[in-house]
Formats: sequence, C-alpha cells, structure tokens
Amino acid sequence: MSEDPTRPEAPEGAPPAIELCGVAKRYSGGVSALHEVNLVVGSGEFVALSGPSGCGKSTLLHLVAALDRPSEGVVKVNGRDLAHIHDLSRFRRLEVGLVFQLHNLLPRISVVANVEIAMYGTHRNGAARRARARELLDEVDLAGQAERLPTQLSGGERQRVAIARSLANDPSVLLADEPTGNLDAEAARRMMALFGRLRDRGMTVLLVTHDLGLAAMADRLERIEAGRIVTAGRPERPDEAGAARRALARDSAP
Amino acid sequence: MPYLVFALRDLLAKKGRTIGLAAAVAFAVMTVVTLAVTSSGLEQSAAAVISVGKADFTVAQKNAADLLSSTIDRGEQARVAQVPGVASTVGVLLEIQQVNADNPAFVEIGIAPQDLSRFGVTVLAGHAYSPTARSECMLGWRAASNLGLHVGSQFKANGTINTVTGIYSTGNSFGDAAAMFPLPAVQGYNRVPGIASLVFVKVDHGANIASVERTITYRLPELTTIRTAAQFGRADRNLIYLKAAVTGSTILAVLIGAIIVGNTMLLSVFERTRELGLLRAIGWSRRRIVGLIMTEGFAVAFAGTAVGVGLSFLVSSALERVPALVGILHTNFTPGAFWRALLTALAMSLIGGLYPAVRAAFLAPLKALSYE
Repeated sequence: MSEDPTRPEAPEGAPPAIELCGVAKRYSGGVSALHEVNLVVGSGEFVALSGPSGCGKSTLLHLVAALDRPSEGVVKVNGRDLAHIHDLSRFRRLEVGLVFQLHNLLPRISVVANVEIAMYGTHRNGAARRARARELLDEVDLAGQAERLPTQLSGGERQRVAIARSLANDPSVLLADEPTGNLDAEAARRMMALFGRLRDRGMTVLLVTHDLGLAAMADRLERIEAGRIVTAGRPERPDEAGAARRALARDSAP
Repeated sequence: MPYLVFALRDLLAKKGRTIGLAAAVAFAVMTVVTLAVTSSGLEQSAAAVISVGKADFTVAQKNAADLLSSTIDRGEQARVAQVPGVASTVGVLLEIQQVNADNPAFVEIGIAPQDLSRFGVTVLAGHAYSPTARSECMLGWRAASNLGLHVGSQFKANGTINTVTGIYSTGNSFGDAAAMFPLPAVQGYNRVPGIASLVFVKVDHGANIASVERTITYRLPELTTIRTAAQFGRADRNLIYLKAAVTGSTILAVLIGAIIVGNTMLLSVFERTRELGLLRAIGWSRRRIVGLIMTEGFAVAFAGTAVGVGLSFLVSSALERVPALVGILHTNFTPGAFWRALLTALAMSLIGGLYPAVRAAFLAPLKALSYE
C-alpha cells in the first residue's frame, strides 16, 4: 500500500505529523503507563500500534489527541508542541479526528446529525454542515442511512458513522482507538480498507489495535509492551495478514 | 440539525421532567408577578386618589403608616392655603368601614359638595348631597353595582341610615368603589373634627410647582408633598413595607426556583456525562458546553415565564372577584410586570444552571467517556 504512486507526498521539509519525544505517563498512585516513548509518524503515513491489553497504546493515542497530558516529554502534532497550544478544544476539533472502540454516537439523533455535531462552532452554516455530513456519509457508504437512528444500524455501520464524524473538519491526522474491537472480521476488513483510502488521500492514520492481522495492513507497525515501544519498522506479514492485505488491495482498487 | 434543536432535544426527549421544571419556574413567576401587580395596583389606586381633582400635588402627614392614618388639622390646612403660589386647596378625609361581610374594608371619602367637581367627581345619576346633611351620601358606580344600590336606596354606614342621593364616577377604580359623604359628617362620626387626611393643592397659573412644594415642606415640616406614585412612600410607610415584602418574596422565589432548576439540571448533566465527554473529546469548547446547558435553562425560563404570567392573570383576576377584596385589590399589569417575570425566570435559570453548566464544561473527556 505504501508504494502507491498516486498518494500525495508531504511537502519537503514538513515536520512529522506526530512526534513523541521521551514521553512518560504516570497516573496518581504511582501507576506508570508509558516510559520514555519516542515515536515519529510521517505525514501521510498509516501506522498501527499494537500490543497486549494494558500496555499503554490507548494512553499514547490519548496523549496525541490532547485528551491527556504527558507526565514527561514532548508530544508534537504537525510540528506543534501540544503543551504550548492554548486552545486544545480547537486543536481537537480541527486538527485531529478521533474514532473510539465504542462508536459513542448519540442515540436519539439521526446519523447525519451525529456527524453534524462535530461541526458546530466552525465556519459552516446549517446548510453547509448538512451537505458536508451527507458527503462524508456517502464516502463511508452510508448515504442511504442518513436519516436513521444509530440504534437502527449494525456495529460496523455505526463505526463508519463515527469515522465520518471524525473527518467532518478535514483533520490531517486520524486517531483510531481499537475501532474494530467490536466488529466481525468482514466489518473490520472494510474498516481497514477505509483507513487505507484515507491514507491514500494524504491523511496520517494512527491506529491502535491488538489484532496483528489487521495491524499488518498498515505501512508500519509499532509494538508496545509494558509502556515501551519494543519494535519499530514495517510489519511482519504472516499468512493471514497477507491474505487480508490482498483483500484490502482488491477493495481499495478504483 | 439546527444548533438550537440540538440544544433543546434533551428537554423535548424528557417531557415529564421538562414540564415539571417549567411548572416550578412558572409557579415562582406567578407568585412574583401576582405580588408585583397587586402592589403596583395598590400604588396605582393610591396614586390615582392623590391625583384626582386636577390637583398639582397632594399634601399628607409625613411618615404616616398609611394614607388613611394621615391627619392634617384645620390650622395646617389654612397654612398650606396661605403659601404663596397656592391657588386653591381641597381637604378630604378618608376612612374605612365594614359595610357588610362581603365588604369588610369599604372606603368612605368625606368631602364638601362644593369641592366635588375639583376633586374630579362626575355625578352620573341623581345629585350631590347637601353640605351639612347628616344622612346623605353618594356611591361610586362600582360600589353601587357591588352593593346592588341606586339613587334613593338606603345605605347603612357610620351608624346611620343614609339616603343615596347620587351615583358618581371619578375615573379610577379606588374612588369608584367608595362612597362620599359631607366632610363634617365623616369628621363627626370619627370624632376628628376639622381633620383631613389629604389636602389637594392647585397652584397659581405659571407658579413653579416644585418651589411651592418646597415652601410648604419648609414651613410645615410635619407634612410632605406627593406629586408622583414614586413619592408615595413619603406618606404611606405600609406601601414601602409592601414593596419591600414583594422584593423579598422575589428574591426568595428566585433562590428556591434556582435550587429546583439547579438540582434538575445537575441530574441531567450526570445522566449525560458520556455525551458531554464525547462533545469535549471531538472539540467542543468549554464555553460551548456552558452555552448548551444554559440554553436548556433559558428555554425553560421562557416557557415558565409565559405560563407563569398566564397563571398570574388568572389568579389575580380570581382574587379581584373575591367579595372581601372587591374595591380594595386592583391588579395593574404593566410592562414592568412582564419584565419582572422574565428577569425572575432568567435569574432562576442563570443562578440554578450555572453550576451544572460549569461542572459539565470541566468534565475530563476521558473520564466522562468511561462513565457508566
């Protein structure tokens, strides 16, 4: 996937999309979630973070999303140190898209309204918000479900609505925390295909998953154990991962 | 989805709670508005009394408990009349009598018949009483209607049977729900010969009214002058106490309402912890979260205001029809009463909603998202 010649290239000299330098995170009570983490994710890269439960991968994602602050070290997104950003709400609204394991859709409003809520407080007026929400739902193959309630959708569909919501304000970085955790294999495969397409459009994707087969579909796999990154580089390609990649390439083909 | 619809969807989804909350606000608004319009009505009635007779201002005893307790003796009346710039004076004695069980506080006005036209009295039927009559009176048209009397009827008051010689109108409900007697008769019955409650003063053409007022209060420091309703408290301390009680009740209603609003909205915030955490996580600012919660509060305030003012209309109309209050209680719905209603409801929502809103805004997104 990384060899796609049509993928937009990051401008020369552009800072990495995500950069963690000597990051540690300790919670009250002395529990340490991360130790001396260093990580660089280039612009337009699709990186998977994998590791056992409780190893700190979600914590790392939360730090990048500015949902939490590191105890030590520096977290930068698009070259900006998050510690120096005054308006973190604006940062979360405009610069990163967030997808959670639980889709976190509001159950009593329609699918299209769920996407719209990410755009309140932006320059878009009501009509523009609605048009943008419908465009995004079309992009995730849910155009026909726009007026339905989230409770009327399958798990995979709900998660795609959550992705549409995360893309509402054209973020340059997409952060996904176990988005396939509650999905069956087919739905998970389609979800990964969607991330692949986003990456192909130049978006940086940082995906947390404990599923090595899915992680293998990323450009790069980073493995975390006990709060430390233990391996870095291209993912190994076990047979099942290879099969999945082939299926993904097939799905992603125009 | 328009932002306002989104902001109000929780109110619409939980109709029972919303109706209960709006009802609490409406009840508080109703109480405040009813007290305010009643107080305003009393002030207006009193102000109407002091402004009848085409007088430029009224003289009363300073710091009297109420208008009816004001006493101005004959000597003082004469000294007022001698003040330079005073063209004419009309002395009036006001008394309250229980006419029957339905009219426990019937107003009697003692006034000389030659002063009636200057007092703004128009005789609608019959004729005025004679100056020295001891058993003649005129009834205001409201009083006549309430008592079922007409010209020639017998009206028992002041311990005597009086013949109704005429029906009059003054153009204000206070005066029209009263009866008028020859001044000496009322003074005699009440054993206050030569005493008036109020003196109505007309100044010479071109005279400076304020200057004449100052001269009177300088020469007669035990008296005060009243030209506007706002000055009425100079001669009616009860009205000041009543207005203070209305203000106190308003503050109390706002505080109690705010506690109810705050409690309900806090519960709503707790129930929506995950949702609020999500909104913060996807980039909603704290200010926008505060706005979201306060929008709900203000929507309830507006609904409560509308219902509360409507209820206040109904309650005050009902109170005015209570026989014991006919002729005494007159409500006065002014624009100020509506503003008071709106401000009361908004204050309740603002004070009550602020803590839940701030609490919602300062939820830690991650903690909120994991809230069960």
